[in-house]
Amino acid sequence: MPVTREIQTVAGAALPIYESFAVRRCRYAPESGAKGRFCLASGVHGDETLGQLILFEVAQRITAQPERLAGVVDLYPMLNPLGLDIGERMVPVGTRLDMNRSFPGNPDGTPLERICHQLAEDMRGADFVLDIHSGTHLKHELCEARITAKEPEPLIALARQLCPDLIWVYPDRIAYEASLSGALCGMGTPSMLLQADERGGDPRKTAARVADGIFRLMAHLGLWDGGAQESLPRIPCIRAEAEVVRVTCQRPGMYVPHPCIGMKVSAGQVIGRIIDALDGAVLEEIASPSAGLVFSQRCYSSVYPGTLIARIFSPERRDNA
Amino acid sequence: MKKDILFTVPSYFRDDMNIMGYRFGKGEKSCAVLGALRGDEVQQLYVCSRLVSYLREVERDGGIMPGKSVLIIPTAIGFSMNAGERLWAPENMDINRRFPGDADGSTTSRIADALFDRLRLYRYGVQLTSFYQPGSFVPHVRVMDTGRQNPDLGCEFGLPYVYVRTPRSADKATLNYAWQLAGTQAYSLYAGKTREIDEAAAEQTLRAIIRFLNGRGIIRSDVTPGHASSVIADGDLLTVSAASAGLLRRIKFAGAHVRRGEQLAFIMNPCDGSVRETLKAPATGMLFYVQDGPFIAEGSPVFQVLSNTR
Repeated sequence: MPVTREIQTVAGAALPIYESFAVRRCRYAPESGAKGRFCLASGVHGDETLGQLILFEVAQRITAQPERLAGVVDLYPMLNPLGLDIGERMVPVGTRLDMNRSFPGNPDGTPLERICHQLAEDMRGADFVLDIHSGTHLKHELCEARITAKEPEPLIALARQLCPDLIWVYPDRIAYEASLSGALCGMGTPSMLLQADERGGDPRKTAARVADGIFRLMAHLGLWDGGAQESLPRIPCIRAEAEVVRVTCQRPGMYVPHPCIGMKVSAGQVIGRIIDALDGAVLEEIASPSAGLVFSQRCYSSVYPGTLIARIFSPERRDNA
Repeated sequence: MKKDILFTVPSYFRDDMNIMGYRFGKGEKSCAVLGALRGDEVQQLYVCSRLVSYLREVERDGGIMPGKSVLIIPTAIGFSMNAGERLWAPENMDINRRFPGDADGSTTSRIADALFDRLRLYRYGVQLTSFYQPGSFVPHVRVMDTGRQNPDLGCEFGLPYVYVRTPRSADKATLNYAWQLAGTQAYSLYAGKTREIDEAAAEQTLRAIIRFLNGRGIIRSDVTPGHASSVIADGDLLTVSAASAGLLRRIKFAGAHVRRGEQLAFIMNPCDGSVRETLKAPATGMLFYVQDGPFIAEGSPVFQVLSNTR
C-alpha cells in the first residue's frame, strides 16, 4: 500500500478516574512524499455526529484508492468525546463551555483551553482545514459552507469545490474569532465550517455527497489525483447580513413546522405554527416575511418568544435595502 | 420601594418568568445592581436579596438621598434556577454572552436587550458575578480594561483588591463590557462562592455595596470602614496548575497567606489514596483564587497567588 496510516493522540488531558480526555487523529500520508496537508475535524459539538460518518467515508475511499493520494490527510473525527457520550453540545467539565468559543486556546489555561491550543497548533500550517458540523434534534440545515475570515474571497473559491447547497460569509463578529475555523484563519491557516445535515434522510447518502465535495477540493488543491476537473454548479452565496432573514416566533408553545427546508418560499407563506395542546388552540401562524430560500428550519419542539424558527436567504432584501 | 416587572418571558407549560426590579428613591438613575445571570449564581441572588431588605429599611428611615435612585435586579434567570441549570436551558445559552442584546433576536438576546435597556441609563453599575471555573475568590472588585474603566472609583467599595482585567474575545459580549462602552462606570463583584451561600463573604459583599452607595452620596447609612484597596492586574497573579488528575485535597484556602514553596494541596489517586502531586506556592503571597471542586483534570488551574513582590 503506497500510503501510511498512523493514529495518534494529539491533544488531551488526564481526567480524575483512570481516563483521558483524548483527541485522536488518524493520518494518511503517501509514501512517495506529500504535496501538502488537508485536515478534517468533526465533533467540536458533542451532539453533532454526522461528521464521523463523513470521515469514515473519506477513510474508506483513501484505503480503496491509495495510489491517488498526493498529500497528507489528517482526520480528527471527535474533538469533544465526553460531549458525544452524553449527547451534549458543550464540554461537560467545569461549568460546561462551548469548545467552539474556546479557540485558539491557551497553553497555560484550563484543560479545555490547553486542548484547544494543542489542536490549533496541530492543524496550523495545513493547506486547508474543514470543521464539519451537523444538525441536531432541534433544527435542520442545508449543506452550508460558512466562512468567517476577514478576506473571504479565496475561501469562497475553495468552498465552491465542496459543492454545498449554500455558501455563507459570516459577519466578522468577535465571537467567531474563538471558533476553530475563525481562530485558524486568524493564524493564517485557511479554514471554514461545513454544516452538513442529513435532514431526516439517509445519513449514508449525505456523507457520500459531502465526501464527493471533499475529494473534489483535495483534487483542486493537488492533494488527490482527481482526473479531469468537472464543471461546478452555480452555488448561491450569502455575502451580506441583509440577505439573511431570521424568522423568530412571538408566542411560547409547540412549534409544528411546515417542512420547507431547501424550498423557495414566497413572502407571506406559512412555514409553521405554534400550538397550545392544553387549549387546543393555534397561537401563531408563522409566515415568511419575504421571498427566498429556506436554508435552516427548526424541528418540532417547544419554543419561547424569540426562538429561531428559520433562516431564509433573500437576495431581494439586500437589493431593497 | 417599588417592585416592577422589567421583562416577562412567557412560557408554554411553566409559569411566565418575570424579571423583577426593586427601585428605591426617585430622580437620577444613580446605581443599578444585578445579581444572577446564571442559574447557579445562588450567592449572587442571596446578596441582592439582602441588599433589597437593607435598602427597604434605609428608605423607611429616609436614608435614600433626594434626587437619587437605585435599581436592584436579584435574578434574570429564575427559570434555570428553578430547573437546576446554569445556562438558559431552552437554548443552552449564557445570557452573559449576549450583551448588548437584540430586541428582535433569540430569547437570551431579548432578555439581554431588555435588561440593558434599563441598566445602561445608570451612572454606576454593579454586577455580582461568578467565574467560568468553579472556585472561591477573595472578595474583590473586577473592572474590564476597555479604556474607559475607572479603578480608583472601584476602591470606594472598600474590598481588598480592585482587579483590572484584560478582556478576551468572549468577554466582549458580557454585561460589564457593554455597560462600560455605554458610559456606565461598571464593576463586577466576586462574592466568594457561587452555588452555595457563604454568609461571611455575602456580608462582606453587602457591606461593600452599601459603602459604595454611601460614598457616592446615593444613600445615607451607617457603614463600617473598608479596606484601603490595592489595584492589581493580570500580571500580578501567578497561576498554580495541576500536572496530574485526581482528587483535590486542599490544605490552604482563599485568603490564606503563604510562603514560597509552602504546600497548598495534594492531588490524590482517587482509588488508592496515594499522592500523585503536591502543589506548592510559587511565590510568597496571598491565595486569591482556589478551585473548590473535588475532582481535578490534568492542567486545571487550582490556585492563583497574588505575589508580595509584584
